[in-house]
Amino acid sequence: MKLRTELIGSGSSVNRDLDLVIAGGGPAALAAALYAARYDIEHIVLESYQPGGQAALTALIENYPGIKTIGGGDLVAVMKEQAESWGALFEMSSVISADPIGDRIQIKADSSTYMARNLIIATGAAPARLGVPGEEKFYGRGVSYCATCDAPFFRDARVLVVGGGDSAVKEALHLSEFVSELVLVHRRDKFRAEPYLAEKLLSCGKCSVNWNTTLKEIKGDESVESVVLSTPEGEKELKVDGVFMYVGRKPATEPFANLIDLNDNGTVRTHDIVHTSRENIFAAGDVTDNKLRQIVTAVSDGARAASAVFELLQ
Amino acid sequence: MAVKHIKGNEIEAATSVVDKISLVDFSAAWCGPCKMLTPVLEKVSDDLEDKVDFFHLDVDESPDASSKFSIRGVPTMIVFHNGEEIDRMVGFRDRNALQTQLENLTESKLAK
Repeated sequence: MKLRTELIGSGSSVNRDLDLVIAGGGPAALAAALYAARYDIEHIVLESYQPGGQAALTALIENYPGIKTIGGGDLVAVMKEQAESWGALFEMSSVISADPIGDRIQIKADSSTYMARNLIIATGAAPARLGVPGEEKFYGRGVSYCATCDAPFFRDARVLVVGGGDSAVKEALHLSEFVSELVLVHRRDKFRAEPYLAEKLLSCGKCSVNWNTTLKEIKGDESVESVVLSTPEGEKELKVDGVFMYVGRKPATEPFANLIDLNDNGTVRTHDIVHTSRENIFAAGDVTDNKLRQIVTAVSDGARAASAVFELLQ
Repeated sequence: MAVKHIKGNEIEAATSVVDKISLVDFSAAWCGPCKMLTPVLEKVSDDLEDKVDFFHLDVDESPDASSKFSIRGVPTMIVFHNGEEIDRMVGFRDRNALQTQLENLTESKLAK
């Protein structure tokens, strides 16, 4: 308890010894924080990248056991409140670098440096960019990666959605409540999304799906005006007001690249779900190479990682 | 309050400042990342209060401003100097990224 008071009341830029640093702010980090606090592990959560993670950007969550439907932002807010009620400590800070020093890990954050006996990496992933011409230029001017955030700007508009996984279809369904017409393009000939979601989209009256189709270019002046698509029948230009992209995720592992083994796609290489190439470093949630990336698996990872730290500290 | 709430018709007067740069955060009550950005802006505004004025604008309260500045996503932060837009950031930024970006802008725009 003494240490907790010290942390809350102290300033910045000092080396602080802790049993555990949790990097990240999404469900995996929040679950790890809850378990670490209940295990009474001296810790800090560095809410790097985006507090709440990808989950906070999801309009509606219907597959988190125990809760029929809930907004993503509401779910992570309750998770954080629950962790804090058990004594979890949070700092609005990003990890800049992490280096091994003896049996500790030196973690430099925005305004503090920590010497941690253990580290849980739960920094999640950001939406991947497709890299087509116009994508950067029109980001925030018609190009979006978050329907939950931006759908109200496209009332009665025609929008394009790119992707075929759960995120693309879920977000397309949310968008369909606002727009007048929604065109989804997918490079394959069937969805990877849950069949329930896919069927819901296919039966949506204002939605159409173009299979085996890719986005080549986004055009416009001040904002998005049209897109160029590559279809099985050749290239065609389509007038749209907005483009929403769901083409995968980029793991936030840069500060840890020299610390642990990563896969070619940048995810943390794990074994036994949360263990990494270093004994005292664990990974949880979307930052890992675990195949199923859901809130339910992220919180499970977070709990496992905190439990593994507890065992190491015994 | 280090971040001041303004309406669309106040932007011009608020951002026509020469000895500082001004950041206007266009956001909405229903936007998750906007809520996450609020504490970041408060912290950064404490650190940079001598060089940067911080303003918050609700896009639902001032729809004309969204249209005038071609806002089609929130949060969008527009940085002004002497009434001119000098930078635009779309989406959440963490404290380090936002502070670094604003410090770079103050370096290049404000007289030493």
